[in-house]
Amino acid sequence: MLTLLKSWVRPDAFHAVLNERSVRWYNACLRITRDADLAADAVQEALLKAWNHRDEFRGEAALDSWIHRIALNAAIDLTRKRKRRAEDELDPESFEAGPASSAESQYVEQAFGKDLATAMQRLSTKERQIFLLKHVEGWRLEEVSESLQMPIGSVKNSLFRAVRKLRVDLQVWRGDHD
Amino acid sequence: MINDEDLLLYHYRELDAADRARIGAALSAQPELAQRLQALVARLDAAAELPEVPVPPQALDRWRAALDRAATETRVSQVPRRFSIPVMWQAAAAAVTVFALIFSIQRIMQPEPQRAAGTEQPSAATGQPAPVESAYAHGLKFHLASTERRLASLGEASPEDRARMIDTIIGQNQMYALAAERAGEPQLARVLRAFNPILEDLADGRSDTTAADISQLSFELRVMQARLGAGAKSSNIL
Repeated sequence: MLTLLKSWVRPDAFHAVLNERSVRWYNACLRITRDADLAADAVQEALLKAWNHRDEFRGEAALDSWIHRIALNAAIDLTRKRKRRAEDELDPESFEAGPASSAESQYVEQAFGKDLATAMQRLSTKERQIFLLKHVEGWRLEEVSESLQMPIGSVKNSLFRAVRKLRVDLQVWRGDHD
Repeated sequence: MINDEDLLLYHYRELDAADRARIGAALSAQPELAQRLQALVARLDAAAELPEVPVPPQALDRWRAALDRAATETRVSQVPRRFSIPVMWQAAAAAVTVFALIFSIQRIMQPEPQRAAGTEQPSAATGQPAPVESAYAHGLKFHLASTERRLASLGEASPEDRARMIDTIIGQNQMYALAAERAGEPQLARVLRAFNPILEDLADGRSDTTAADISQLSFELRVMQARLGAGAKSSNIL
């Protein structure tokens, strides 16, 4: 009986949602981190965090949306930690707005297409994250500000800067005109 | 003059009510402004339109293994932490779970159009015949209602009466689980069956039921409710 009872404490719902939605989580994290290992780590961290806090799941959102959001936060945290580590070891200037590293470039070129890759590469890490969280993930500016630990005014400014860069680049490469 | 930044904030619904109304009115009055907003959003959509890459198989295996490991750790850490709380409290915890169960099952059994609209459609108004409730559905509803009543009185019952009442509930649960399976509702069958061990513990007067067991059952029910409740409103962030 005890075994039967204990069989309830198993991650069935998690496995089910993992099979269905992991591609979406992974890609969302990959866009935030631009690093396959970090993205995979973020998803794993999110799954474990959600499992350990499953008592707090209120059912207001679907389980996969809940984990998706935790994964994005984990991706942001991991990117921040990596940047901090890199700053400790190397020149801080090279990690703020500079072009992505070669591994990142390769991923970005493969995934985004050349013109978009170039347009995205012109964004700083913060600009890219803010644009993705706002435009793709649909977060409120307050949520972005809280997650990135930035004042809301700075979030808005970075978003506008990102939009200006993307607009200009896509206009030039695609031959679009207003 | 409305600039692109305000247009963007309007699109993102990040403006206060007054600015939103002002820009909304301008967009209605000026087709060229609406066109400008459309072009801006289309360009950003194009920038955001990124093809999905597949998950590396080794990453997927790693996530599954991590989840299983976490579940095993949960099991191990539970063993020494047994409840030693009065039966009445356990009954109350079980009753809460049953209420959630009843709610979930009622949602499952609601006909589709009703679920979507959230209101009953009078058959006379639609001209359609009223849906006939199957004997299975009717019986299950009755069983759940009587389970609810029995659980409410568990705390006051003598140990013998309690054991007898719980035996009856468990027997009926098993019967309806089987019926649910035959009706093509495996999830409902699983939930009905999963509830039995908790009831058995209560009947035996053993304090084997842990808080984690009850919370896990509640969690699974909430997942089911969330799935049923189409269109999640918001999410809680860790």
